[in-house]
Amino acid sequence: MSASLPPIRIAACGGLTAFGDETVTLNALLDGRRALAPMPVLGREGGDPVALALCAGRSYDETSPPDWLPWVRRLAARIPGEGWGSPRRPVFVTSSNFGVGSLYAFRRTGDASHLNYGTPATCVDALATQLGWGPDITAFSHACVSAHLGLLQASRVLAAGFADEALVFTFDFLSPFVAGGFHALKILNAETPAPYQDRPTGSIGLGDGAAFAVLTRARGDFVLSAQSLHNEMHHFTANRADGAGFEACLAPLLPATRGRRLWLKGHGTGTLETGRLEATALARHFPGAPLVSWKGGIGHSLGSSGLVELAIAIAAIRAGRAPGTVGGAAPGFTPEVAFAPFDLAAFDGLLCTSNAFGGAHAALLLSHA
Amino acid sequence: MLERWITALHTEEASLEEPAATRERLKDRFPRGATRRMTQLGMLVGVALEPLAPGETDTIVYATGFSETRAVEGYLDSFPSASPTLFQTSIHPSAVQQALILRQQAVHQFFPLTGNACLPAQALRVAWLAETPRTLLCGGEERGTWLLENRSASDRSFAFALALSASPVGAIGRLALTPSFNERAEFALPAFFDVLHARRAFDAPISPSLRLTLDWS
Repeated sequence: MSASLPPIRIAACGGLTAFGDETVTLNALLDGRRALAPMPVLGREGGDPVALALCAGRSYDETSPPDWLPWVRRLAARIPGEGWGSPRRPVFVTSSNFGVGSLYAFRRTGDASHLNYGTPATCVDALATQLGWGPDITAFSHACVSAHLGLLQASRVLAAGFADEALVFTFDFLSPFVAGGFHALKILNAETPAPYQDRPTGSIGLGDGAAFAVLTRARGDFVLSAQSLHNEMHHFTANRADGAGFEACLAPLLPATRGRRLWLKGHGTGTLETGRLEATALARHFPGAPLVSWKGGIGHSLGSSGLVELAIAIAAIRAGRAPGTVGGAAPGFTPEVAFAPFDLAAFDGLLCTSNAFGGAHAALLLSHA
Repeated sequence: MLERWITALHTEEASLEEPAATRERLKDRFPRGATRRMTQLGMLVGVALEPLAPGETDTIVYATGFSETRAVEGYLDSFPSASPTLFQTSIHPSAVQQALILRQQAVHQFFPLTGNACLPAQALRVAWLAETPRTLLCGGEERGTWLLENRSASDRSFAFALALSASPVGAIGRLALTPSFNERAEFALPAFFDVLHARRAFDAPISPSLRLTLDWS
């Protein structure tokens, strides 16, 4: 679906991970470095160690105002142009967390000032004030495919001529609220990613992440050639065992990929069953195309991961070299899983995929303009 | 002017009703035993959506400002032994997923939005740009407890679902959006629900840049 949109260009794109901006992150991943480190799941209150990748110096225990704000401000300062949040320059904010860490902090401390960021609406309002955005802001929250929804809706607004440029801004910063939930689901592991293949369900690490993209109709050297969504609605935390959801998401994109020499940036959180289904579906449609995941290095930045990893991918294309699947080791789910960095001169397109709770799937095709 | 025709509408007004009462009232609308694991908002949205028979090729646009407030409250209170069930239930957009997972009803296009003062305007604009012949616009809130005491939750429970089409065939109403400039214009989800629930005609700015006109046949 939505493969029918006219190509939309990316005029600017930047990201932030625990390593730093997208260029610093790219270099770290090319070096095979991992930002994930074991931390007590409840922060100062202790708990089991889990694998988290936090921005350097950021406190995992929520402060008031949230101490992730300086990172957001620094990232936002790189967004070119002015007048964001006006009718011709709308903003699409995406996140799966928003300020939910502040809600956790409020419940633990009773300090009402945390509530200024506690709900998605108050968090986005506060962010808009901090960043000088106008009121034309649409916020999407669809777990780990959230950023893709922002990109797709921004593309539609541009394609319809309702805007001149559109800003997609995404952010997800870790807190005991979200890490505690994933830990309760028994999929976090302090030793991730090394032993994940040895665990019955695999294991994932979580990471801070934020990113932006300025989309236009005619300016920029990268193009979103096609985008697709699918929601299985089969199970909250599992995909259909036959892989039908992956197929349904990929199908609309296939015509746009014909004749292209693709490399693939998968979702690849480290959960075994989903990883196997994803790698199998991609290998079936794109045999021989190298498939990578970077979450073993930067952690899973949840609703922001789609755009955070797109920013890293664009940096990789500019640099001419892509990181391999950091933190993993052969054998992969399929022979296409690449563990070592590789040159990109032979490729002219990139397919990026994301998955989420509820069997949600999203994919996009990126190429040079 | 952006125009869509309303071909079906269902509203659920639970107001101050407790989740247990909603569960008892609506349990026959779901498979036996299913409501035990559902949130109040999940039940309300599920009942509002069900008569519209969502299909794979519909676009579903879902608007909620606070989502599963009771699950969020319960999850926060479950620490330090965080509840996995309440965690997954608290994740936006759980209500629609609860309803559609029960039906095992896949859908390609699903756009869950959050927001506050102009949430209906944002949701309507997403619905307008949907590529499918039919768009289901749904939304709702559930009344909180301690989050409500701290002005971080809805003070009432409700849900709605309306089917939108580009064709006037079989329409029961018409929605139109026109450009408008009113910096202070707001129109939050409860107000939109009230207009829909009463099937009241409406013509006013709903955001700083959009005006909504709503007529009923």
